[in-house]
Amino acid sequence: MGKGEIHGRLSGTNSQGRRRVLTCVLAAMLSILLPAAASPRIVKDQTGRMVNVPEKPQRLVSLAPNITEIVYALGLGDELVGDTDYCDFPPQAKDKPHVGTMVNPSLERIVALKPDLALGTPEANRRETADQLERLGIPVYGVTASTLEGTLASIEDLGKILGHEAEAKNLVAQMQARIDRVEKPLEGQSKPKVLFVVWYRPLITVGPKTFIADVIRAAGGIPIGEDLKGEWPRLTLEELLPENPDVILLPKTESFSPSLEEFQSLPGWKDLRAVKERRMFFVSESIMRPGPRLVDALEELAAILHPRRP
Amino acid sequence: MSLPATPRNVIVVAGAMALLLALVVLVSLSMGAVHLPLSGVWRALASRGGNSEAAVIVLEIRLPRILLAILVGAALSVAGTGLQALLRNPLADPYVLGISSGAAVGAILALWIGGRVAAASPLAAFIGAVLTMVWVYLLGRRGGRLASYTLILAGVITASFLSAVILFMLTLLSTRDVRGIAFWLMGDLSVAPLTELRILAPAIILAIAGLYVFAKDLNVLLLGAEEAAHLGVNVGRVEMGVYILASLLTGIAVSASGAIGYLGLLVPHLGRMLVGNDHRMLLPTAAFGGAILLVLSDTLARTALAPAELPVGAVTAVAGAPVFIYLLRKTAG
Repeated sequence: MGKGEIHGRLSGTNSQGRRRVLTCVLAAMLSILLPAAASPRIVKDQTGRMVNVPEKPQRLVSLAPNITEIVYALGLGDELVGDTDYCDFPPQAKDKPHVGTMVNPSLERIVALKPDLALGTPEANRRETADQLERLGIPVYGVTASTLEGTLASIEDLGKILGHEAEAKNLVAQMQARIDRVEKPLEGQSKPKVLFVVWYRPLITVGPKTFIADVIRAAGGIPIGEDLKGEWPRLTLEELLPENPDVILLPKTESFSPSLEEFQSLPGWKDLRAVKERRMFFVSESIMRPGPRLVDALEELAAILHPRRP
Repeated sequence: MSLPATPRNVIVVAGAMALLLALVVLVSLSMGAVHLPLSGVWRALASRGGNSEAAVIVLEIRLPRILLAILVGAALSVAGTGLQALLRNPLADPYVLGISSGAAVGAILALWIGGRVAAASPLAAFIGAVLTMVWVYLLGRRGGRLASYTLILAGVITASFLSAVILFMLTLLSTRDVRGIAFWLMGDLSVAPLTELRILAPAIILAIAGLYVFAKDLNVLLLGAEEAAHLGVNVGRVEMGVYILASLLTGIAVSASGAIGYLGLLVPHLGRMLVGNDHRMLLPTAAFGGAILLVLSDTLARTALAPAELPVGAVTAVAGAPVFIYLLRKTAG
């Protein structure tokens, strides 16, 4: 080849040459960009944030008890390197290194555990904590659920990003089967009105858009306060009396165990049908955790609300 | 004890306190929820970087907190000193004029509106503080001048009203936002990225320096406004200057870290016990003293019940009460 031809090729003075050069440049650019895009990936979590999730997370920190339960249920107990002081199920979770409370975990402890992914939920954790962890180079993936279906979706979602999609699908299928087994016989049955007491002085109940209200509905009950706003609305006795719930449910926690007799002497309460007919029940704490054991709570609730089911 | 405020004495005292502060900072850098050996801390500081988790913990978690504690502690203590002189009232503190409540309303409004405005809540808090400062001035001035009596009343009324507004807004916010605000209302030194510190530091240092310019005038002002005027002090200008600078210091501090109590009230008194009433000596003492106390309180807050973190405002209150009682009995007896 003569010098002139080479010059022609390199400077692209003919259109064929120009197109070839362009293709080469584009290919070079793509080959630089592609590996960067393959791992880690940027996904949108359930709260709408864009998160840089590593390909196969090996060291997880859970910032809420329900997430810890989901992580174990997906078979990732060994990959969990830290959880909160309140993570008590399964029992092995209590032996994991603790990072503090859900509202104010110790950033130092989390960093010292060298996680490649932290899992949180806006129901328990603060946005500031997520921002601070991101600034320290730890991605935070958020899950949230306001319904029973949403809880199943959270489990599937976590399974997907943690690389245990099969276990997640399995678990969700089992949970859905148990939910169907509870819901089907209840179709067409009369539904009692249910008051779920989060706290009683003042009276705080659950809002209609919470997953607890959803569990009550799935168990064949009508949570009172369909038009209440917020997640934990306050209810005055004046508003409660005309509703006159058929059943009153109280979560059985360590710090909150009033005796049923106490209620029968409280003014206003003692006139309620549920108190007079002694239809007040404690339910296990798992109803407050949107996780795998929520279905246990559902079954327990259905047995309370419709005791004569087959 | 009363040290004559010669320039030499002031420099000696300030220098000694600066050394003490440096020592406290070093100790605090090595303490925390994660036990780091001293050698690890030294290495992290010396190498100024690297990816070891000791470096991250020391440089990106503890150091910004400590720096913010120094700035906020100094700001609130100096503001308290200035206001106690301006209002001629030993019970005055930076919050008596409603600035912190105004800042809180600003921050909560930003959160309520939500979205990207929520992210700028420190700025919204500062705007709230400045608006409150202007409002209280307009409400509390008498005859075109700041009169300490009416100013205090205006401040107290405004603070009460704004506190009620805050409670009202809290009932309307969702639970999640309330949780975030509660921490802000109790004082939180953990939310300052280094970029924010780069704006805060010069602002606070300048404002403190500005107040120092009025140090001699503040000594005279304590005698009373009329007496000060007779002695040649431009009372109107001094009062306005001190009011604005003290309010700005408070507004900046509260916007960055929430309402941390007791410092602005206590540290001026502690300073007076140590070095006397001359503001040329008292102001730097209060600045360093406040910085030292807040760094110590914050270190205690994040180590006492580790990994749980106590809100730093609670620690300054719990630690401040016995000190205050001791002081009270000492001065009374």
